[in-house]
Amino acid sequence: MESKRPIKVLIAKPGLDGHDRGAKVVALGLRDEGMEVIYSGLRQTPEKIVQAAVQEDVDVVGLSCLSGAHKYLFSEVVCQLKEHGKGDTLVICGGIIPEKDIPMLKETGISEVFGPGTSVKKIAQFIRENVKESSLAGD
Amino acid sequence: MSDLEKIKEKKKLWEEKVLKPALERFKLEKSPNKFYTPLDVEGFDFLKNVGFPGAYPFTAGTYPLLPYTVVATKGSLPSAKGLVRAAGYSGYGTPEDTRDYYKEYQKRGLRGGPNLAFDLPTQCGFDSDNPMVRGEVGKVGVAVDTFKDFEIIYEAYQGELDLDKIASNFTINAPANIIIAFYAALAEKRGISLSKLRATPQNDILKEYIARGTYIFPPRPAMRMFRDSVVFLTKYMPKVNVTSIGGYHIREAGATREQDLAFSMAIGMEYLKCGVDAGLDIDDFAPKFTFNAFGGSMELFKEVAFQRAARRMWAKILKEKFGAKNFRSMLIRQPLAAHVGCSSTTVQRPLNNLTRAVVGAIAGALSGGPPNVYPPYDEPLGLGWSLEARQLAEDASRILQFEAKLTEVIDPLAGSYYVESLTDEIENAAWKELEKIDAMGGVISAIENGYLQREIARSAHERQQKIEKGEILIVGVNCFTGESELEVTVNRMVPHPYDETKREEAEERQIKKLAEIKRSRDSRLVNQLLSELKEKAKNESENLIPHFIECAKAYVTLQEMCDVLREVFGEYEPVGI
Amino acid sequence: MTVQKIREKRAQWEEKILKPALDRFNLQESPNKFYTPAEIEGFNFLEKVGFPGEYPFTAGVYPVYPYAAGTRGGGAIQAAPGLRRAGRYSGYGAPEDTRDYYKRMAELGAKMGPNLAMDLPTQCGFDSDNPNIRGEVGKVGVAIDTLRDFEVIYEAFQGERDLDKIASNFTINAPANIIVSMYLALAEKRGIPWSKLRGTPQNDILKEFIARGTYIFPPGPSMRMFRDSLVFFTKNLPGMNVTSIGGYHIREAGATREQDLAFSMAIGMEYLKCGVDAGLNIDDFAPKFTFNAFGGSMELFKEVAFQRAARRMWARILREKFKSVKPRSQLLRQPGGAHIGRTSTTKQRPLNNLTRSIVGAVASAFSGSPPNASPPYDEPLGLGWSLEAIQLSEDAGRILQYEAKLTEVMDPLAGSYYVEALTDEIEEAAWSELEKIEAMGGAVAAIENGYMQREIARSAYEQQKRIEKGEDLIVGLNCFTGENEIEVMVNRAVPHPYDEQKREEAEELQIANLKEVKRTRDNRTVNRLLQELKVAAGKEEVNLFPYFIECVRAYVTEQEMCDVLREVFGEYEPSENL
Repeated sequence: MESKRPIKVLIAKPGLDGHDRGAKVVALGLRDEGMEVIYSGLRQTPEKIVQAAVQEDVDVVGLSCLSGAHKYLFSEVVCQLKEHGKGDTLVICGGIIPEKDIPMLKETGISEVFGPGTSVKKIAQFIRENVKESSLAGD
Repeated sequence: MSDLEKIKEKKKLWEEKVLKPALERFKLEKSPNKFYTPLDVEGFDFLKNVGFPGAYPFTAGTYPLLPYTVVATKGSLPSAKGLVRAAGYSGYGTPEDTRDYYKEYQKRGLRGGPNLAFDLPTQCGFDSDNPMVRGEVGKVGVAVDTFKDFEIIYEAYQGELDLDKIASNFTINAPANIIIAFYAALAEKRGISLSKLRATPQNDILKEYIARGTYIFPPRPAMRMFRDSVVFLTKYMPKVNVTSIGGYHIREAGATREQDLAFSMAIGMEYLKCGVDAGLDIDDFAPKFTFNAFGGSMELFKEVAFQRAARRMWAKILKEKFGAKNFRSMLIRQPLAAHVGCSSTTVQRPLNNLTRAVVGAIAGALSGGPPNVYPPYDEPLGLGWSLEARQLAEDASRILQFEAKLTEVIDPLAGSYYVESLTDEIENAAWKELEKIDAMGGVISAIENGYLQREIARSAHERQQKIEKGEILIVGVNCFTGESELEVTVNRMVPHPYDETKREEAEERQIKKLAEIKRSRDSRLVNQLLSELKEKAKNESENLIPHFIECAKAYVTLQEMCDVLREVFGEYEPVGI
Repeated sequence: MTVQKIREKRAQWEEKILKPALDRFNLQESPNKFYTPAEIEGFNFLEKVGFPGEYPFTAGVYPVYPYAAGTRGGGAIQAAPGLRRAGRYSGYGAPEDTRDYYKRMAELGAKMGPNLAMDLPTQCGFDSDNPNIRGEVGKVGVAIDTLRDFEVIYEAFQGERDLDKIASNFTINAPANIIVSMYLALAEKRGIPWSKLRGTPQNDILKEFIARGTYIFPPGPSMRMFRDSLVFFTKNLPGMNVTSIGGYHIREAGATREQDLAFSMAIGMEYLKCGVDAGLNIDDFAPKFTFNAFGGSMELFKEVAFQRAARRMWARILREKFKSVKPRSQLLRQPGGAHIGRTSTTKQRPLNNLTRSIVGAVASAFSGSPPNASPPYDEPLGLGWSLEAIQLSEDAGRILQYEAKLTEVMDPLAGSYYVEALTDEIEEAAWSELEKIEAMGGAVAAIENGYMQREIARSAYEQQKRIEKGEDLIVGLNCFTGENEIEVMVNRAVPHPYDEQKREEAEELQIANLKEVKRTRDNRTVNRLLQELKVAAGKEEVNLFPYFIECVRAYVTEQEMCDVLREVFGEYEPSENL
């Protein structure tokens, strides 16, 4: 089997929320952890995010939202990933997500929610442990 | 024109051109605010008035550095690597209950020796089976009647936590020497040299007459007992502190800030005098004097200034009045510095007491102490501190030290015109009051003639009047009490560390146990020892502590010893106000 | 007492007293510092501090402090007798929901004007029926699409609380001129002269590009819009503030303390320059500049020093760089002072945030502002502030003012060797950074070349690394997290002031509202006005305010206006090169 290529991650900001400190810090941190990271920038629609994910053939999509619009926006992304045949992409998220919304998000297909105070190391570890093997086996 | 003159001129101009129009705009007669400038500290000399921390006059701090780690260890007093400290004030019910409490806490990580709260019968020299004290046994602290009770409590402290490895605190005053004797007897029984013991008995009898009320004998025989303690400890237990002087109680009883400082200094001086009169060298025993705490209040700056003034004043007293040479004699050693005082807390909207305690902790950090958030917010509810309340207080202390970094700079307010001015003001007022007491013949005279008691009562009364008039504002009590104000309550999830049932039944159990001890001990020996005690007590120059140790080992009870002393010394009759 | 003597004494002390103590505790160096007069050699009181309310304003912006902390509903803006103030930052759902919220608050005793939070579509120039912004309508604030929405909200403010008796705050930036126009049109409808209006639009577009993200147009045209507001306000709205400059957002985005101060000053200077370039006299408009807040942190003393340095720096800029002569032009006016910032709060053991907010409130009082304990402790839970949390916060402000009497003395730390040294240090570092930015050509240049954005991202990342390494300690997060630690929770007895149900349904409701407005307005007039707007926008020297006012009167929507402007100005394309 060929040697594994680095895990490819798309960090995206869906919706209008302009608070990108966390997204940027996670992006920089995962890069330091040896992953290949693309940061989408602000104001991404679910369509644009999925388009980028498909185009770049990422293994992981990380979504950040602090405006309360996460329930709609995140489930749209997961849905559309499935529609485009990328249902085995690992989708994680962060931002301001009230505890009570977490079960619903997980049901839709979000693998984990990383709220304020999470260390980048923890996120990196989770990604390594949960990313789909098949997508890493080489091009 | 000198700098100061320039500032004076500028101030006048400012008052005319800037302040006055603003006052008119807000329709104020005079400014609700003050502003301090170099004019307010004219003549200030940094080296003389402040100096360096850990060096005379100690204004900036008792020590040159603060190695404390605030409550890093659960439930203990602020500690540091290499320092041996007692835990938080604790104890209730029977000795078994208290022992079990400490064992439970050790499981949760508590590391400090016992900081023993005793019940009122014990503090007042009564046994648990005395019909006069029914209802009080084991309530405010643990019931201790005989040496056996100490043996039981300290079952929680053995092996790695044996007496030579921990420090114990005893909040005991009138019968302090008896409790010290119990501790010494325990050490002897365990084969531990007395010189290795670390402890602090409160042993501050004079404040009992004016603020706390657990006296037994009149002041002069009580001072004889104090003399015994300072001589015995200096000789045989050099690592045991002699006293823990508490202006705290005096302030809580109603004294003003200046009275707190003055009366504390006066009392401290009386104890120092006692040691000198007993033939000891000041530098041999003064380093073993500590302070429990002074009082506190919500006025953060005034409390910071108070602490600085207190350090400076004590240092001056030791150096100039008592000729101390060793700098260690001049230190105010206390576990914490400024704080709000428990009487600043309210029963209304109690969670606000967390806010208040945080103010106190900030004042504490700014005045050289650890940022100790005290008391836990549910203090005034009278149910003991819940674990939730303690958690909030501990976390708050940690936040102040590690996030706010309030202990990073020692005496950070040094140089502030306001604070230096306040410090001088408080110190000057305290010296004046001290002179008054001196003129009366000293603190004992001032107690015997009721002066101190009357002053405290008067201050307390005046304060209450101000509160009722709304001149002193207390949130949730006499202001901001409208209908739409919420009382925010905490979800109590964790059982209280003190078992209520045990506390209820403690009296019965302790009485039973006491009866058993009285039955199985050598009664002839007991009577003999008591007889000897009476003779020794009559002899003023005799140190009674070695005899207390003998009595302890024979399981003579606390009250039996105190009753003998009552016969010889008399009982204190308080003065009316 | 000379500095030389003190230095000598210090050397002795370090040798004879400090060193033995270090040895005793096995320490290489002291965990503590100690400041003496030697650390502020050359300090001149009149030059460095002076008197409160007088240049250089280090000690305070005003000579007296008439504020009352903990006024019900007061939020960050403290009330004072005779001052018209807006209340706590608020607003959600559809305009009806916000109107009802304000009505209820008034019943509970909160009588101040609205401090309007608007939803992200509104802040970004999109209407509620735009399919691309689904899920965002009415979430972080109230949805505003047309004048009708303003009319509905302000049904809560009539009679004794009409527009000439209250103050309104609008947290709006890119489309600020449009929102203000709605306020003006509303005033007209109610027969209230514009000169009687009081309020503050945030109107601080430059920080949006680097920290907050609700931009629309590129910096150049955005500054034209700012010029329009400056000129129009100065001429027509003497009671309104023109901007609320926010270093706060910059710090929250990760900037260091010194960057916060420097970037804020740079941005402020850019706005001042705009006014001067438009031909206005500095003293005619600078008094209407305000600051929203700077950033904060848990480090109490550094934040106090920051505030003193900020006041001094702004005053110097106005006087020395812009040659203002009126003291009122030199004031750094802001509702609060030092504080801890929101990023200092933790989701873990949230009640500890009450403690943290008290540190901030104490810092605020020390730095000459009301002791405002913010945010309410449940801030990081993302559910909005419960009334319990607000109660604790308000009570804390009151306790600090009335029991601790922290506002009794102005600038109480003046003269402290530590604080004066810190103040100088922070100011010097900020001047250094400011000079760098000026050398680049000013704030707009430093934004267009990405300098500020990169610096902020870098500082944010470094802070995260320090936290993960345990160099920066946060209680309950990376320390004191053992099993025996309890999370203390409050009993939530009172329903949340924001109705969850309404918030969920707001989008649908507002879309329906909007549909109705579009149906009943005169669409021919709308189209004509949009055309006129387009032409006017294309002419750099034309002030667009009169056009906006006409448009809002005719119920043109915010997005319709913004779309026209997008055509003319272009849209901002950030370059996200991390």
